[in-house]
Parts: sequence; C-alpha cells; structure tokens
Amino acid sequence: MILLRLLSWPYLRKHVLRWSLTVAGIVMGVGLLVAMHSANQAVLASFGTTVGRIAGAAELQISAGDFGFDEEVLERVQAAPEVRVAVPVVEAVADTGIKGQGNLLILGVDMTGDRSLRDYDLESGDQAIIDDPLVFLAQPDSLMVAKEFAERNHLEIDSRIPLQTAHGTKYFTIRGIMRSGGLGKAFGGNLAVMDVYAAQKVFGRGRRFDRIDVGVKEGVPVEQCRAALARALGPGFDIAPPSASREHFEAMLSAYSMSMNVSSMFALIIGMFIIYNSFAIAVTQRRPEIGILRALGATRAQVRMLFLGEAAVAGTIGSLLGIGAGALMARGIAMYVGGFTSQIYGVKQALDEVAIDPRIIVAGLLLGIATSLLAAWIPARSAARVDPVQALQKGKYQVLSAGEGSLRRRAAALAAILSAVCLWLGRSNLVFYAGYALAVLTALLLAPMVALWVTRMIRPALRWLRPVEGALAADSLIQSPRRTSATVSALMLSIAMVVGFGGVSASIYLSVTEWIEKTLNPDLYVEASEWLASYSWTLPGTAGADIERVEGVEQAQMVRSARTLYHGVPVMVVAIEVAKLAQKVHSRPIAGDSREMYKLTAAGQGAMISDSFAGLRGVGLGDTLELGTPSGMLRLPVVGIRRDFSDQQGTVLIDRSVYQRWWKDDRTNIIRVYLKPGADPAVVKARILERFAGQRVFVLFNKEVRQYILRVTDQWFAMTYTQAGIAILIAVLGIVNTLTVSITDRRRELGVLQAVGGLRRQIRHTVWIEAVTIGLVGVVLGLAFGALNLYYTLEMTRRTFAGIALDYTYPGPLAGLLALLVLGAALVASLGPAEQAVRGSLVEALEYE
Amino acid sequence: MSKLILCLLVAAFAWGQDARQIVEEVQRRSRSGSEHYEGSLEVVNARGKITAKRWLYDRIGSHGNSKAVLRFTAPPEVKGVALLIVNHPDRASDQWMWTPALERDRRIALQDRRTRFFGTDFSFEDLEERDVGQYDYSLLGEEMAGGAACWKIESRPKQSKSSQYDRSILWVRKDRYVFWRIENYLKDRLVRRATYGDLQEVQSIWTARTVEMADLRENSRTILKLEKLEYNVPMKDEGFTLQALRRESR
Amino acid sequence: MIELAGVSKVFDGKRKVVALENLDLVIGRGEMVAIVGPSGSGKSTLLNLIGGLDRPSQGEIRIDGSALGGLSDDELTRLRRDKIGFVFQFFNLLPTLSCLENVALPLHLRGWPRKKIDERARALLDLVQLGNRLDHTPEELSGGERQRVAIARALSIYPPILLADEPTGNLDTRTGAEILKLVHDVHDRLGATVLIVTHDATVAHSCPRTLTLCDGHIAGDERR
Repeated sequence: MILLRLLSWPYLRKHVLRWSLTVAGIVMGVGLLVAMHSANQAVLASFGTTVGRIAGAAELQISAGDFGFDEEVLERVQAAPEVRVAVPVVEAVADTGIKGQGNLLILGVDMTGDRSLRDYDLESGDQAIIDDPLVFLAQPDSLMVAKEFAERNHLEIDSRIPLQTAHGTKYFTIRGIMRSGGLGKAFGGNLAVMDVYAAQKVFGRGRRFDRIDVGVKEGVPVEQCRAALARALGPGFDIAPPSASREHFEAMLSAYSMSMNVSSMFALIIGMFIIYNSFAIAVTQRRPEIGILRALGATRAQVRMLFLGEAAVAGTIGSLLGIGAGALMARGIAMYVGGFTSQIYGVKQALDEVAIDPRIIVAGLLLGIATSLLAAWIPARSAARVDPVQALQKGKYQVLSAGEGSLRRRAAALAAILSAVCLWLGRSNLVFYAGYALAVLTALLLAPMVALWVTRMIRPALRWLRPVEGALAADSLIQSPRRTSATVSALMLSIAMVVGFGGVSASIYLSVTEWIEKTLNPDLYVEASEWLASYSWTLPGTAGADIERVEGVEQAQMVRSARTLYHGVPVMVVAIEVAKLAQKVHSRPIAGDSREMYKLTAAGQGAMISDSFAGLRGVGLGDTLELGTPSGMLRLPVVGIRRDFSDQQGTVLIDRSVYQRWWKDDRTNIIRVYLKPGADPAVVKARILERFAGQRVFVLFNKEVRQYILRVTDQWFAMTYTQAGIAILIAVLGIVNTLTVSITDRRRELGVLQAVGGLRRQIRHTVWIEAVTIGLVGVVLGLAFGALNLYYTLEMTRRTFAGIALDYTYPGPLAGLLALLVLGAALVASLGPAEQAVRGSLVEALEYE
Repeated sequence: MSKLILCLLVAAFAWGQDARQIVEEVQRRSRSGSEHYEGSLEVVNARGKITAKRWLYDRIGSHGNSKAVLRFTAPPEVKGVALLIVNHPDRASDQWMWTPALERDRRIALQDRRTRFFGTDFSFEDLEERDVGQYDYSLLGEEMAGGAACWKIESRPKQSKSSQYDRSILWVRKDRYVFWRIENYLKDRLVRRATYGDLQEVQSIWTARTVEMADLRENSRTILKLEKLEYNVPMKDEGFTLQALRRESR
Repeated sequence: MIELAGVSKVFDGKRKVVALENLDLVIGRGEMVAIVGPSGSGKSTLLNLIGGLDRPSQGEIRIDGSALGGLSDDELTRLRRDKIGFVFQFFNLLPTLSCLENVALPLHLRGWPRKKIDERARALLDLVQLGNRLDHTPEELSGGERQRVAIARALSIYPPILLADEPTGNLDTRTGAEILKLVHDVHDRLGATVLIVTHDATVAHSCPRTLTLCDGHIAGDERR
C-alpha cells in the first residue's frame, strides 16, 4: 500500500492523460455491459410490469395467440367450477392523435365483473360517475384513463379525446380517472379502460375476445384450475399465468439479446487490451524505477503486487465510472429497444423507469476489476522479472524476446487447430462457441506477429512517400511491437466485430430484398392498421370481395396473420387464399414440389413453413405440424418449405379456408391487391379508400410495404453502426494512448530530429503517419479476421434465431467505409500527441532518458 | 331424558315446517300473473349525494317461473338500457343486459351477480324473485318490528341457488304476510338490508310501494318507489326474449 | 560570425538557476574554439543557445549577422539546418535507421532529391572512413564508429558552424583521439567554425582558442 502511494501516485500524476485513457477502457467495457444489460432488463421489466399490472389479480390468462377467439368460450370458462371469476378482455393500442402522446393502450373489460380482478382505484372525486357504471356501459364512448395521462394532457371528467378506431377517428369521453399506481401505471400511464363490448366494436373485433382473465376459486390450486380449463377448452388455447407472456417476449427479444451479449463481450475484451497496453507500457517505462526498487531489496512478489494493486485501483475507478456511464446510456438504449419491439414485433409495452439492478452493479464492478487484474497480469509478471542491473543501464531498448514469439506461434497454431476441430465437429452449441472463442484466441495470439509483418511490408511504401517521416514512423512501430500490438489487437477485434455484424446485416438485407422481389409483388396492400406488425386490427371477411369490385383491381387476396403458440413458442400463422397466391407468386421453394405444395395447401391438405421455422423448430418436409386452434388440434403435413421473412420466429402458411374452419373467424388483416394492367395504383388507392370510407383502412403502395419490411433489417444495421462507433472510439483511445507513449519514449529521437533541422511540421507528420499506420495495420488485421468472424456470426445467427443459413457476403462497402473512418479517426487521434511532440524544450528532450 | 330430546326435535321440526309455510304463504299471497310498475330510484351515497334514475318494470309469470324486463327511462344517458331476467325454479336465473348504443346484449355471468346493479345498492341477485323452494328456513322467533308483529325467519340458500349470501333474516308481518325487512349476511356480517314500506293493497295484493336497500359496506342506500303499479296486466311471453329487447330498443 | 551580447540564461525551476550571466562573446568565421569549465558552469547551455536549441533569457545572439531573438521556432530550425551541425556526447543517432539513413536524415529534412542525398551521404561516410558500413544500424557499431556517423550527419549539409558537445566524452582515449583528428580534419577542409565543449584537456589544447566558463561567466579566453 505504501509502495502504491509512494511510487504509483507520482507516476499516475505525471501521466494523468494516459491513466485516464486506460481507465476509459474499463469505463467503456463496464459501461456497455451495464447499459445494455440494464436496458434489456428495463425493457423486459416494463413489459412484465405492464402485463402484471394489466393482469391485476388474474391468476390465469386464456388466449389463442393473437387471433382471439369467439365469445362463447367465455361461458365455457365461467362454467368451470374451479373458476371464481372469468373476465373477457379486448386489448388494443390506439393512436390518440394528441401530439407527443403517441399511443394509448386500451383495455376493454367487462365492468360488471372486472372489479373483482382489477382495482381501478378511482380518484375519489369521481366516485359518483364510476359508481354509475350504467352510464359508462350505456355510452360506448366511455373511457377511463390513468391519472398520469389525464394530468399530462389536462384532461378532466367529461373531457373528450380522439382515438383511431376501426371506423376512423372517433371522440371518446372520459368518465373516470384512475389513481396512479397499480393499473393506472401500466404502459407508462398511457392506459385507458373501456367496456369490452364497446371495444369489440371500436376495434373491429366482431364477437371475439382477445383474452380471458381468470381468478381461481378459493382453495383450488391454480394448476388444477389450469388443467380443468385445458380439458374444457381443448388444445387451441394457451392457458398460463400472466408471467408466461414475459417468457414469450423474451423469446422474441432473443436476437437482440444475443447481439447485445456479444457486443459487451467484445467491449470487455477490447477494454482488457487497452489496460494491458497501458500496463505493458508502464512497466517498460518504469524499468529503472523497478530496478532501483529491486536493488533496494524489494522482492519480486512486492513488485508484482505493486502493479496488480495499481490495476485493481484503475479497475475499481473505471468500473465505478463505467457503472455511472452505463446507467446514463441505459435509458437511451432502452428507449430504442422498446421502440423497435413495439414497432417491429407489435408488442404492447411502454418503458417505465430504467432501474439498474444491484446485481449488475456488483457484476460490473467485479468484472471490471477482474478484467483489469487479468490484463495487468502479464505486465506485472514481467515487471517482477526485471533484472535490476540491466534496468539501471541507460538507453536499452526492449525488444520482443524471440522465446515469447515462438511460444505465441505455437500456442496460436494449437488454438487454430483446436478451433478447426471444433468447427468440424461443431454440432452442439457448446463446441461451436468454444471453437469461436479459440478462433478469437488464435487471432489475438497471432496479431502482434502479423502486425509486425504488415508494418514491415508497409515501410517501403511509407519511406517512398515520405523518406524521413515515413521511415521513422514505421520504424517506431517495428521497433516496439509491445507498444502497438495491444492497440492493434483491440482495433482488430472491434473491426472484426463490425464486419461480422455488418456482414450479417448485408446478408439479411440481400436475402430479404430477394424475398421481397419474389413474393411481395402485389401493387397495393389494404390493411386495418398502419403498422404491418399490428395483428389486432382486422377487416371483415367481405372486404376482399368489396375490393375486387373496385374498378382497376384484378385480384384481392385476403390474409389473416397473427402469432400463435407452437409447442409453447410464438410463431406466425399466415392464412391466405393459397390458390390465388399460387397464380401470382412464383418463388422457388427450398424444399418440396412447387406445384404440388400450393395445390395441397390450397386444398387444406397441408401447410407450408418458412425455412426459419424449419431450422428453428427442427421440422422437415413430410412432418406433421400440430397447431392448437379454438376448435381443437389441427394436424397438417408439411408439404413445402419456402423462404419467408415475415417473422423472425418463422411462419406457417395455411389456406384461408382452413383458418375459417378451425379458428371460426373470417376476418382479415391484410389484403394483397393486384391491379389490372395499366391501372394507376394511386387512383385505385383513392377508389378503395372511398369504398371503405368511415372504416379504419390503410392502403399502402408496394414500395411502402417494402420499406417497412426492410426496417426489420435496420435493427441489425443499427447494431452495426453502434459497433462501428465503438470501433472508432477504440481506434481513437488506443491510438492516443499508444502515441502518447511512443512520443514519450521517443522524445529524444524527436529532439534529435529537430536538432538536425527537422521542422515542426515534419515532426507532426511523423506522428501522424505513425498513427495512420497503426490504424492501417489494425484495419488490415481486422478486415482479415472479420472474414472469419463473419462466418461465426452468421452461424451464430442461424443457430440462435434466424434458423436459416444466410449467404456469406463480405460487406465490402462497409469495410471500405470503416477503413476510412478508422484511418480518419487515427489521424484525428494523433493531432493531440503530435502537438505534444513539438512542444517542450529541445534541450530537455535531448537529455531525456 | 331421551323423551325430552325427542320432544325438542319434534318441536324444531314443527317450527321449521312453520317457517317454510309462512314464506310459502307470503309467496302465495303475492302471486300474480304479471306485474308492471314505474320505478323511481334515489341512490344516496355515503356523502349524501343523491342520484336519481327511473325504470319500467314488467314481469310475466311468478316466482320460480317468472320472466322480467327492466328498462331504464332516465337519466337520458342510460335511457334504453334494459335487463332481462329469466328465473328458474331449480337454479340461478339467467340475466342479460341490452345496451342500445352498442346494439348488443351481454350475459350477466353468475359470478357477477354479487356486484352492484349499476350504481344502485341492489345487486343483480337482489333483483331476482326469490322462490321459496330454493331456501331452507328456520323460525327464529317473533318480535314487534316496524310497528307490527313479525315472524323472524332465517333462510339459507340451497346449493343449487349459488347465492352470494350465506344466510338472510326475514321479518314477515303477521297481519299481511308481507316482508317488513330482509337482512342479508355474508358469513356473520350484515351486508345488505332491504326494508319494505308504504304498504298498500293493490288489486287485492298487499304490496310495499317503497323498498329501501342499504349497503352497509358502502354506507349508501337506494330508495325504490313503485309507481303506477298494476298486477295481472295482459302481457305476451314473446316480450321477454332477447329478440324483443333488441326490437324494442329501435 | 557568432556574436553574443549581454546573454543571460536563467532556468526557472523550483529554484532559480542562473546558468549564464551577462555574457559577451564574439567568435569569428573559421575559428575553432574549445569551451571548458567545471560541471554546471554553463558550457552546454552556451552551446545550446548558439545552436538555437534554446533561447536566452536576456541579451542577443547573432549568427552571420541575423539575430536569433526575432526568429520563430521554425525559422530557428531553418537556420539550424542550413548553418549548424551538431555532434552530441551520446551520439543521438536514430537506432532504427542505418548509418546511411542517419547521415541522410538532415538532407531528407531539407527535401533534397534522393540521388543527391545518396551521393552526399556516401561521400561523407567515406570521409569518416565508414564507407563499408553503410547499411549497419548504430547498434552494430562501436562507440567511435557511432560518433563518426554522428559527425558525418552533422556535416551532411556542409554547415558553416559545427557544434560538438563532449564529442569524446563517451569514448576511450584512443578513439577520442581519432575523433578529435577527424574534427580537426573537417575544420581544415571545410573551413567551418567549430565549437567544442569538452572536459578533456587534450581536446582543449588542440584548439587555437579556449574559453573557460565558471559559474556562468567567462573566466578565461585564451588564444594560442
């Protein structure tokens, strides 16, 4: 401890900038970890609490995917002796049309029985109004809103607000205000309660409910009630505690969670390199000091402890700052994730506060300290090995020892072989991820050597470009690989990561665009919702025929698509008029006979699944698919496998007739409209809107739908851009660090250069070139390793969520852009150090040792 | 010793028989083929705030076999809302509500009958006609109440009735065989109390023209006045169906 | 050639250190001057001031008639690279560069054409008798050889002024003598003005003029 204070503190004070940068490495790693984890948790938690708050005292919820079910189910549920109370629910998210307020989650409930499940906890002043539920029920425009929402919008009892309904915008009257807390806090307070039958009408549900909330009779175990209901209702219903929906939501978020975990992992490894870098440099610089210490009788263990102590301190400070920074970032990330879950997945949730889990704080702290200790381990060991006699001699340059190099090479070869073996064997996920880790290890072991080769190769070019500055810069790098190798490694990793994710984005983009090209060919889409991902708005089954009567329309294909549970996992079922579809879409199936599969499906004798469904659920051609429907278990053989990106969890395509029969529903949520040759889409759109005037109908052009679909891939691109940002940050951080050290190390050299007539401009150039060279080497290595990393990322994507083998497409433009950005960042990063290099006394520089 | 016990048992049986007979007599005397009245309601809540409502009431048949329709006429925002009650002698009644603005009916589930009938202090169940056969009775004694001599009778619902109350205590006026008061208990707690007043003979049926229902949990009460009361008005069975509700709302 | 008028140099550290105090000095073209004195007497400071590596706290220095005081850092550097060659005690060769590259360094900095640089560097290394070690790095050379490379570098531009700070200080006697001979040789051949800071009496005695510094003052100016 005393050593730490006596020796480390002055050194730290002298190198404040560098220590800040070192700590910044940890801050970034821990910060990202904390931020991403917290954001993820917050999104899940807010979904969970929204579900929980809305569920109230309901112990079980009965649903049939997003399709809903016929009203008569309610009486069957209420008839079960195990049920104390069963309340029908219609849930919808509707646009308020109030600026800045966005969407309101509307909970349609049966007020007569519902209060025994949910406590509306009304503002006492409104008692009379709510005491008169008759008015509430008699007037279908009645709405009860949460207090927060009312206050935000200055609403009072009898205020009127507009809402988007199935019949266009309608005004609703507030007849009750719920006190905040409990239900009133769900969905971020943007919650309104409506009569369930009014909701059916307003949201075009027909005589269907979305859900039934069940309270179990006292003394009856929940499970017993669940089993009884399952027996009574048949296999088509999902009967589960409200918490189960959180698991489904988690499953939907899995893709995002995966990429997030990988990114924080990379961030930490990268942070580790920055720390390693700093410590390796510190040890080199402080060799004389260590020599003196050793000469004065310090043991090796004491020297090692000194450095590990410094690492622990840096780790603690960095982790604490990282936790703080993470907490700050978490909200932004959470908002982003929350935003795309509701837009892309159509999940009803609103973000509450983002709380930082104490466990993640502890984990972040421990991880930060552990990482920095681990990173400082080798430098500390080499510090302990410093020979006092050698260390005290002046002007000795340290070189990478030959022994270390060959050891590294051997370790790298071993890791590479093992990694290849894993790849070859790689059936199980464990083996696959072990192989991935080994591949990263190989790259890291090889990085310093390869970096050296690359620099040597670049040297002549640099020398030719700028005889003095170029050669000096290159030599500076060649001469002290230690100084640069960590930065180069960190850069390599981050660039490889960007290439990996970017490549996946590019592949998805390509596959999706190809799929769009082949299958999304209707001229117009008529929908009940402006978002494709919202399955809860529907149109009556007569809409198709209505549209076909519109002048200029050749054909209308009615689609009903929604998620339903398949073996406990939400999957998308798409019911379409297959015979019509077969006339218009001619994509090559992945498996199955193209003509036969459409014929069988149209006849209701089979189902077609997407390749992602096949991959994720392990279902193949000829297998029997079991889908629970309100009328019982629907069993259909898989007659074809096609590419379909409608949903990440995979889709099942059945004929509309099958849907009508088994789900007892003839509504539709999307109608694919093909026009007669020569018809103007804009004109036909106007005609359709006219025909459906007064109804909630949206007509989208083909182009608009394409753009919408492509937004699914945007989440990957966003991820890629975030990571590119990180890569650039690392480039800056690492390069500033390396250059600062390099300049300190070479102060004398730079002094000489000036003494013999080097202009300041020339010195600056040297530093700049050095920086750009580091960047370049990092880019070269990163792009090369990225090619391998992309393979792993694609495989990981396939395994965890896409379920489809994406084509390997190296993201060339991204790589080019990234190279430019990193080189630019390197140049920018060098500006400060370069100025530092030309400042200061020449005389001191020349005497500097 | 054993004789004494036997005597007491016989006495209890006799008393029990008595209680049932009393209630049967109440039911017999109030029997009518149909009923029509205009109800005016005043709900006085815990803080003394008064809300007024009006409804039209039609009933056909009586007790276990009756059907009734209750149609709100005021205030204007609830006008047209109707309730159809179909009583059964052997099980709980079926109830449907019709909301004209939505143009649809909804079934009032059995589980929901305990809840307040739209802001009044009656529960849905309280609006049913009690059929004597669905309860077990025992005579608790006789006392002076409401200025008249009354029998005090305890009733407990049979299993098939699935009532919200565990037991009720009925006061029956000895002179007219009409209820003076009904107290409804949940476990041992008194939750609702109906008091019948303004006794008049209408078409030779002694009828209480006001009913005051007090909800002792909410500390509020509702006063129902039966106006323009008529018995045995000609009515058709078809008027007591969902279709009729739908039709008449138009 | 070199004129100093009232030059003082004070180092502002935690303690003020007066390295030179009110110094007046004139050194003519082609002179060869040894500067001697005890440690801390201000010898190196004087050399650094003349070489434009440092600026005086007071007074004025003129090289070839131009006052250094009015020059910017870059102008000073230009003056240095056109007129002054440096030889340091610790050679200060760039370890990563070969002998040839080290010598060529100042010429590259001036942006000479490659071919001309190459010719000049080779010629100079021949001059210091290292024509056979062109591609060796400093590490592969002995101390004397390194100093010869350093001298070759200092001479690469044929500077009118050569400043040497303890050029033999880090060498054994025999090698020192060789280097001294080389410096004399250069002086004779190129007619450069040479200033040598030295501890070595032999070196001092070989110079026609010897300045003795003591505590920042000129304690003796001896010509022989």
